Formats: sequence, structure tokens, C-alpha cells
Amino acid sequence: MSITRVANVAIDDGTHRDARVRRRIDSVGTWGFAAPILAVFLILFLIPLARSVYFSFTDYTGYSTDVNFVGFSNYARIFSDTSLISSLSFTLLFAVATTVLVTVAAIPLALVLNRAFAGRNLVRSVYFFPAVPSAAILGLVWGFILNPLGSGALNTMLRSVFGVGPVPWLADSHLAQASVIAVSLWSQTGWHAVLYLAYLQAIPAEYFEVARIDGASRSQQLRFITLPLLAPAMTVSWLLLMTGGLKVYDLPFTLTGGGPGFATRTLTQSIIQSGIARGDYGTASALAVLFLLAVGGVVLVQLRFSRRMEGRFS
Amino acid sequence: MKQRRSLVTSVVMLLLSAVVALPFYYIVVNTLKTQAETLASPLGLPSSLNLDNYVTVFRDTPVVRSFLNTLYVTVLSIGLMLVIGSLAAFAVVVGSKKLAGILGVVLAVAFVVPGQATLIPQYEMFAKAHLVDSLNGLVLIYSAGSIFCYFLIVGYMRTLPLEIFEAARVDGAGPWRIYYAIVLPLIRPILVTVGVFQTMWVWNDFLLPNVFISSPTRQTLVLQVYTAVGQFTTNWPTFMTLTVVVLLPMLVFFIVMQRHIVSGLVAGSVKG
Repeated sequence: MSITRVANVAIDDGTHRDARVRRRIDSVGTWGFAAPILAVFLILFLIPLARSVYFSFTDYTGYSTDVNFVGFSNYARIFSDTSLISSLSFTLLFAVATTVLVTVAAIPLALVLNRAFAGRNLVRSVYFFPAVPSAAILGLVWGFILNPLGSGALNTMLRSVFGVGPVPWLADSHLAQASVIAVSLWSQTGWHAVLYLAYLQAIPAEYFEVARIDGASRSQQLRFITLPLLAPAMTVSWLLLMTGGLKVYDLPFTLTGGGPGFATRTLTQSIIQSGIARGDYGTASALAVLFLLAVGGVVLVQLRFSRRMEGRFS
Repeated sequence: MKQRRSLVTSVVMLLLSAVVALPFYYIVVNTLKTQAETLASPLGLPSSLNLDNYVTVFRDTPVVRSFLNTLYVTVLSIGLMLVIGSLAAFAVVVGSKKLAGILGVVLAVAFVVPGQATLIPQYEMFAKAHLVDSLNGLVLIYSAGSIFCYFLIVGYMRTLPLEIFEAARVDGAGPWRIYYAIVLPLIRPILVTVGVFQTMWVWNDFLLPNVFISSPTRQTLVLQVYTAVGQFTTNWPTFMTLTVVVLLPMLVFFIVMQRHIVSGLVAGSVKG
């Protein structure tokens, strides 16, 4: 899902195709076939994007017809509003933490899942399954498990087994942030392990055979064959985790509601809160524009990075 | 030695997967209990097989209605996405270079722009068009996913020999007929993969229903579960029963479609 390929799709076209055939079918007007997707792009991407940028410089509320140009004051407001600053910082923390932790857990898991052992298919399905149901519902379920009161499932268990508790899982700022990240790890690790596994299974067995004949140890094989060949999988997985982490909304919102205070509030929640609930289109749009720049920046950095990595290993 | 190693792996991995599955055991086992039992021992087995919670859920909550709403939105959205995406892919494969170039730009923009960046103006535009709090409005918003569908379908279509289209053309088939009678059957495998992938998004989505839907009668399943938390704060077993009822279709979908889910995940990434 990277732009390299996107660009290739555009450039690639026409080079291997018979121009004669193309022209014949073209003559009946292929533009009509592309009209729906162009309409989708115009109405759901281009116009809203332009309006987001425009709103971000105005005091538009959605109700008043009187729209004034206010320069950068919406942007300035973001950096003086504690709830918005904390949503920015938690979103960043969440994106970086899940990217690092999921990667650290998913690669070893994939390596183990790539071995033969009894019950492998069952185990793989169980790890993968938490990524299948709605993250919003899983957040609610974990809310019951992590309930800070003595009645939460985890606290009840801790009390009866270890005699400790009750731990304020979701009531303490730092514990709540850690809980959100931990639940996200639980739901995403298996998914990314399966992604790595697909790449692992594509490595030809001969590579390892040759390495063995040459006397490479297991750890050398891992370091010089497996991990380098997993580089493309890593860039894909990181891109998905980083952009997914920056865009996250469902899980933190249903697990903690953004609290306690603003400790686990995400950028998306702030955009919805200020734009739709409060009708403050200006601030919400300024947030959305910053958000777009952040995600776009991540994608571009990722692209350069993955080009360099793939260049080095291939 | 080798067998012993694989036995150890098995035991460790099975134990670990039991821990991963624990939350699911927790919600399922509590659907069979009363509130008092749940509070006393959240993970214990129920004292008797009690299905009262299921009766309550189907009697007191609009779960069937929400299910039908979700089904309506999902089926229509996925259908629309696949049609729009495959039409565009067909147009690019047989069409001019200029068109392919334009769609390359469309793709690049759509990949970089997150849905949240366009959410507020979309809401404002849909409100003006009276498409807020409407299932059809939701379907239209989800059609944004057709660009991702296009991306995967066009990659698949490029592997088909273009001569097939020429042969059909020589036989007198019009472009619509070529699309309908030749292209669609040929690209069936990728349509299934993409359709399954997007179904998981639309069916599970919480953000868009939460923003765009306000009437209880138009709720999707996920939204209904969310609003039910407030309703059942004092009755956890009923809430968990609702959750299990809502998760059940997803579990069945997972078991039936597991192969396609994994291939969709790989296609969506390997393509990049």
C-alpha cells in the first residue's frame, strides 16, 4: 500500500499493452467507466479537503452565514488548548508505542508460527482473531475487564489469586494510557504476525540449506537471511501501524472515553468533539489540516526509508 | 530432540493462546450467569445453564433491527465499491494513458489523506443534502473505499491478457457487455478478496455511524452495543450477551472466510 507502487501503476500503463487494441476500445469512451470513481474522488476527497483548508482559516460554525477570515488564529488556539495538546501527545505516544511493541512481539511470534508444531493452525487463528471483531466492541469488553472498581474482572482475579488490588487501571492517567496501548497490542499483534508469516513463507528454503552447508549457525541465518528478507514486510507493517496509530479512534474512545481527564483522548476524538459536537468548524479543520500534514509526513518518510532499505537488501 | 522441541513449542503456544482468548471466554461464560454470580466470580463457570440473558437481549433491545441496518449498509456499500472500483480498473486497463495518469494521482491523494481530515466538511455537506442520519448517506460515505478496491482490482486485471477483450470486441460485444460478461467473471477471485477485506471495515466501523447516525432505529450493531453500555451499567451479563450476539456473525464470517481474510491482508500489503 505504498506510493511507490501507486506511481508505478500510473507509469507502468501502456508500456506492455498493444496500442491498437487500446485505441479500439478507447473509441467507445472508457471515460464513462471512470466517471463514478472520479465523482467519488471529487465529492468525498477533493472538495472536502479544499473546504477543510478553507475552514481552518475562518470562524465558520456551520450555522451562521457570516464567515470571517481569521488567519492563523485557529492554529494558534490548538497550541494553547490543553485538551488539544494532550490529544496530540497521546496520539503520538500511542502510534509510536504500538508500532514498536507490535513489531517486537509480532516478528518472534511469526518465526515460531513458521515452525512445525502440533496445533499450529489453531494457535494462529486464535492470535489472529482479536483483529477480526470491531475494535469498538473489544474496547467496551476490556472496559469491563479493566474496571477500576473491585468488581472489574482483572481486579477480582488479582484479589483472589494474589491478594492485591484494586488497581485503578482506567482511573489513573498513566495506567489508562498503558491499558489502551496494551489492549491494542492484544488485538493487533496476531494480525501483524500473520503478515510477517506470509513473507517468511515466501523465503526459498534453499537459502537456508546453502547457509547450513556453509556452516552458518541458526542465529547467523536469522540475522543474515531472515531479517533482511523481512525488510519489505517491516516497512509495510510499520506504515500500517503508524498511520493506523495516528488515525486511531474506536478503541481508546470506547475503552476510556478519552479519560481520565484528557489522558487518552485522541486527535480524531478532538476533531469530532470540536467540529461536530461543538460546531467549531474552524478549530476542527485546523486540527484536521495538521493531522493531514502529520500522516502525509509519515507516509513520505516511510517511503524514502523503505526505498533505501529495499535498495540495500536487494 | 527435535520432537521434544516441537512439543515444548506446542505447549507454550497453546498456553499463550489461551491467555489471548481469555477475554472471549470471559464474555461468553458470563452470558450464562446472573449479575450476582458475575460479580462474585467473573471467570467461574455458571451454577446452572441459564439462557435468560439471551431472551432479555432479543426481547428488550432492537438487535434484529440493528442487524438488518448493518446488513443493508454493508451489502450496499461493498456492492457499490466493487462496481465503481472494477469499472475504473477496466477503464484504465483498456483506456488512454491520460486516464491512467489521472487515476494514479487519485490513488496517491487517497492514500495520503486520512478520512479524519475530510470528515468535518463531509458532515457539513451531507447535512446540507439531508443525508445525515440516513443509512443511504452512510453507504455513500463508505463508497470512498472504492478507490482502495480500484487499486487492488487494477493490479489483478493487468495480469489478464488484453487479447481476450479484443476477441470479444471482434465478436461484436460492446464495452458494457465486455465488462459484464467477460471482465467481471474473470476478476471474481480479487472481487472476493477485496469484498471480504472491505466488509470487515464497514461491518465493524464505529466512527462513521457514531458521527452520522443519531436515530436509535437507524443504529448499526456496533453503535447499538456502544449505546447499550449506558443502558446496562448495572447489568453486565445482559450487556455481555448482547456483545456475544453481535460478535457471533463476525465469528462465523471469520471461520468461513479465514483464507480470504488472510489473502486480502497480504494482497493489501504485498501490493505496496
